[in-house]
Amino acid sequence: MTDLALVGDQLREILAELTGDHGMLTVPGETALLRDGIGLDSLGGTILLTEVRRRFGVDVADEDLNLDSLATLGTLAAFIAARTDRRI
Amino acid sequence: MIKCVVWDIDNTLLDGVYLESGQRLPAADPAMTGVLAELARRGLLHALASRNPPTAAGYVEQLTGHRFAAAQCGWGSKSAAIRRIIAELGVAADAVAFVDDDALERAEVSFALPQVMVLAPEDMAEAVSWPAFSPPVLTEEARRRGELYLTRRLRQEEAKAFGGSRDDFLRYCQTRVVIAAAGTADLPRLHELSVRTHQFNSAVAPVSEDALAELLAAADHRVMTVRLADRYGDDGLVGGCVISTGRATAGAVEPGRCWDVPLLMMSCRALGRGVIDALLAWLCRAARRAGADLVTVPCVVNSRNVPLRIALAGAGFRAETAAAGTAAVTTTAADPGGLADPGGLADPAGSGPVKVAVYARRLDEPLPDLPDWVTASGP
Repeated sequence: MTDLALVGDQLREILAELTGDHGMLTVPGETALLRDGIGLDSLGGTILLTEVRRRFGVDVADEDLNLDSLATLGTLAAFIAARTDRRI
Repeated sequence: MIKCVVWDIDNTLLDGVYLESGQRLPAADPAMTGVLAELARRGLLHALASRNPPTAAGYVEQLTGHRFAAAQCGWGSKSAAIRRIIAELGVAADAVAFVDDDALERAEVSFALPQVMVLAPEDMAEAVSWPAFSPPVLTEEARRRGELYLTRRLRQEEAKAFGGSRDDFLRYCQTRVVIAAAGTADLPRLHELSVRTHQFNSAVAPVSEDALAELLAAADHRVMTVRLADRYGDDGLVGGCVISTGRATAGAVEPGRCWDVPLLMMSCRALGRGVIDALLAWLCRAARRAGADLVTVPCVVNSRNVPLRIALAGAGFRAETAAAGTAAVTTTAADPGGLADPGGLADPAGSGPVKVAVYARRLDEPLPDLPDWVTASGP
């Protein structure tokens, strides 16, 4: 399993915990995180990014001004994987 | 500034240990109950984190006569309990103080959550006089704050059980948002919001009441208020913004092509209730109606206002990019001033430079929807 896939699965776990919806564990990578996709609002998005910083040590909000990485589950996983390198 | 005090129960709020007291439950600790009452009077929130069954929280509430804004009783770590309280109340970790008689518990929290102010009960009697525990402005709404967080607890319990979409839930709660032009009577509360809000605050420094009054009187500016209520309670004035709508020349205001928003703020009490999204949608729509084709929000970039930046991204705002493709971030030296002095943007802590990015939204693209539970009046 690649780092990217590992990160993606960990994000799915965080989202399942956050939303209380176990369907999140199998959600595809191209699913949008905000609004029309999973529908995270600013509270949900903040909790997700806090958990990402805790688990991966990546401060997405500090590095990604426009938060483009929050577009989909896949873009966020790629953003994190590119910064964690072999640390996970 | 501390907004929330998280209390341990055994040998802290109680003069003894709840589960080891047999038939006769321990009495309240008079010193700590006194501190709790005084801080509640100043508008600080209180929460419980205890390794006890949930009945202990009920016992402490009955004994002290104080209804806590959040209660975490269980066998997990204190830092995990505080993390849940932080998420539930929407406060920042560095706005939280934790009081526990057990040095090990204090060490665990200090290690896991270094931003939290960790205190022993014997420190608390003195801490009451520290500036961090003395909010500069105290309005009627601040006094009611603890009560409002209680209704929030009820709302969140219902939201967990609800199951539908967030929009359905907001409708089910009979959420009502009213966006209107500010009056003089709103200025103390708007000033208070500018001091107390961090998660949803675009400005670098608080704005004084005098500066707000000047903006209110200026023909080329609008000061707006946002009020929130639902069937659980009336939250009152929870947010606001200042808009520069054009340039005043020779007594007339020339309509601008761009609405600039130097201050955008919302109480974290309204977090997760659709308010910031409604305000941003209204801003875009009102600006387009007024003939503008761009809305800009200069926004400080720090770790605390991530929720605001997520809301901006969700509403289609982008940090403007420079020619090289890098985001336009200006770094400003600390120099207290505020909005009346746009050149003097300052870090509230007064420590070093502050990053500010200009978020812009073009209005010729489809605009975010304004839900039908939002009422708006004004420009």
